Amino acid sequence: MLRMASSFPEEVLEHVFSFIYDDKDRNAISMVCKSWYEIERWCRRRIFVGNCYAVSPPMVIRRFPEVRSVELKGKPHFADFNLVPEGWGGYVYPWIAAMATAYPWLEEIRLKRMVVTDEALELIAKSFKNFKVLVLSSCEGFSTDGLAAIAANCRNLKELDLRESEVDDLSGHWLSHFPDSYTSLVSLNISCLGSEVSFSALERLVGRCPNLRTLRLNRAVPLDRLANILCRAPQLVELGTGTYSAELQPDVFSSLAGAFSGCKELRSLSGFWDAVPGYLPAIYPICPSLTSLNLSYATIQSTDLTKLVSQCQSLQRLWVLDYIEDIGLEALAAFCKDLRELRVFPSEPFAQEPNVSLTEQGLVSVSEGCPKLHSVLYFCRQMTNDALATIARNRPNMTRFRLCIIEPRAPDYITLQPLDDGFGAIVEHCKDLQRLSMAGLLTDRVFEHIGNHAKKLEMLSVAFAGDSDLGLHHVLSGCENLRKLEIRDCPFGDKALLVNAAKLETMRSLWMSSCSVSFGACKLLGQKIPRLNVEVMDERGPPGSRPESCPVEKLYIYRTVAGPRFDMPGFVWTMDEDSALRLS
Amino acid sequence: MGRRGSASSSSSLESSNYPALSSRSSLYQHNRDLSTDLRLGLSIATSSQGNPSTPSESDWPPIKPFLKETLAAEENECNSATFFVKVYMEGIPIGRKLDLLAHDGYHNLIRTLDHMFNTTIIWAEMDGEHSEQYHVLTYEDKEGDWLMVGDVPWEMFLSSVRRLKITRADI
Repeated sequence: MLRMASSFPEEVLEHVFSFIYDDKDRNAISMVCKSWYEIERWCRRRIFVGNCYAVSPPMVIRRFPEVRSVELKGKPHFADFNLVPEGWGGYVYPWIAAMATAYPWLEEIRLKRMVVTDEALELIAKSFKNFKVLVLSSCEGFSTDGLAAIAANCRNLKELDLRESEVDDLSGHWLSHFPDSYTSLVSLNISCLGSEVSFSALERLVGRCPNLRTLRLNRAVPLDRLANILCRAPQLVELGTGTYSAELQPDVFSSLAGAFSGCKELRSLSGFWDAVPGYLPAIYPICPSLTSLNLSYATIQSTDLTKLVSQCQSLQRLWVLDYIEDIGLEALAAFCKDLRELRVFPSEPFAQEPNVSLTEQGLVSVSEGCPKLHSVLYFCRQMTNDALATIARNRPNMTRFRLCIIEPRAPDYITLQPLDDGFGAIVEHCKDLQRLSMAGLLTDRVFEHIGNHAKKLEMLSVAFAGDSDLGLHHVLSGCENLRKLEIRDCPFGDKALLVNAAKLETMRSLWMSSCSVSFGACKLLGQKIPRLNVEVMDERGPPGSRPESCPVEKLYIYRTVAGPRFDMPGFVWTMDEDSALRLS
Repeated sequence: MGRRGSASSSSSLESSNYPALSSRSSLYQHNRDLSTDLRLGLSIATSSQGNPSTPSESDWPPIKPFLKETLAAEENECNSATFFVKVYMEGIPIGRKLDLLAHDGYHNLIRTLDHMFNTTIIWAEMDGEHSEQYHVLTYEDKEGDWLMVGDVPWEMFLSSVRRLKITRADI
């Protein structure tokens, strides 16, 4: 058998490997034998680094010399909710600098939660002659000047997607830096930008790019300019409108409706800032073919929302505010039988009292009516164990289930019991559950259910839950496939962590904030497991200045082959053998 | 039968070594008492010492900043909208101006007018004896007709009212 493996010429093996795209499969191939490892590493074209500090740029470049596409993720997920202080890290510049010399033929860079600077963007613009795709998801640190550099220099750019990034928006002029000869745009997402881009430059750009299929405009594009843009791109598949509000004028309405009707390929809509109900009928003609609808910024009420979704029989994904109410979700359940993903966001997240009639019943209805529903994010103000159990029984195919009850530690509002059994039912019935985010009053029992049943669980988010270390221990010892665990405001301390220290090396990362993990335990973990970075974040000052038993504010533990990082701000300390000595 | 995890030390987390959970309802009550105490401003240890706490608006509920800003902006827009109408009282040549959007309904409006004009206002929902010293609240609608305030839903009233007049009840 070994002889056969080595008797294939390299070129043949390389050709075979070129059909394998999935990272896990590629990793498996590379472990068959040394020669396969060698062949594979020379022909791997795409790498994904889930934590930019898990490995260093030189290490990646040394192993994979011919990469064309790189995806990196930086800050922990809880950075989305302001839990990671400014300056924590996640800088992409060292990566760009290293790749500028090592990968001159790099085509794609996808970044999530990283700090990107204008220098980094300028370096990208001038280093990679065949650069095609730039996706900056929830990134920050750059301005429209950096975008201008990309627009001006990347002649083969196909995709520029700034989704939810925080951009220092100096002016909209950057868009005009795309030269007149530039026609290769396929996807443009500028929805996060505040200032106005030149509408004529935008229209000309759209008009001269025949392959444009995705266009997500920003709020500054007024409704009366949308028709013109659409008429220049009838081949669009995905559209994000700008402001969807204007005085009701028949001529504006009819040209808009006409423009939408002309877009026969349109399958995904988003934007809809300040949407007024009067202009919604303009999209009715294309509703039956829509597969994705994002109404997260549309402050329209339940009657109009219900009317809208009832016409979207092909809908697979709906993101909407809780204005839709239970009644709208019932309509969704009745008409949208192909629904796969539902996200319901709170319209008044800080109000104590509910402003809309959205309860657990809405989610139950959708779980009953939509057989393909497998991904849920639901913000509400009340829940019961019964509802959760019903949802679980209805939808054993659930893979991502995230519930947020606005009031922390809210019990089952009918029985006043914790929601342990409800979430227990979820993990018991939904055997393929990969992601879970829990809410409400929860004791250690729910973690026992999770440890016993959630065998495919990869990511778990926990807040204001549990009674003791036993809870954390259940999860760490029971969830075989756990990769990411993020915990805030739970009474979990040292014991469970220390007992399960080895488990931490099998995971991508663990985040714990406002828990009860002591500085002493952090030091011990850092010393015990060399290939973990145990980072303590404390804005009160050096942890060494307080007793060892004192709990740390925030703790971020991740596995790494790159050793401790050196770009930490003053409020982050790495616990390893050396630092433990330095801090004592 | 045992739990997974490092064999040597898993016994230290056997449930028998842990105190039985207190009954769940009393646990919830305990949490609520602490939350109430925090709201009352008593000095309770912060959550970093393992006590329950109420989260701040900056990091709870877990919604992304972009959505949070958009919703906040929309709420501000609603809050900063105004709709001032003139109000005249019979017999007083100088009128007043009142922001109808600063009120959330008829009761609120009547209370403001009662104070503003130092009288008791009669409107559609009011029953009981009407004294001669009371005043009736009427409004002019888009068609120029004068109607008693309070018959139609508040939102409908807002969309049709042009100005208000308070007349004596002894007509």
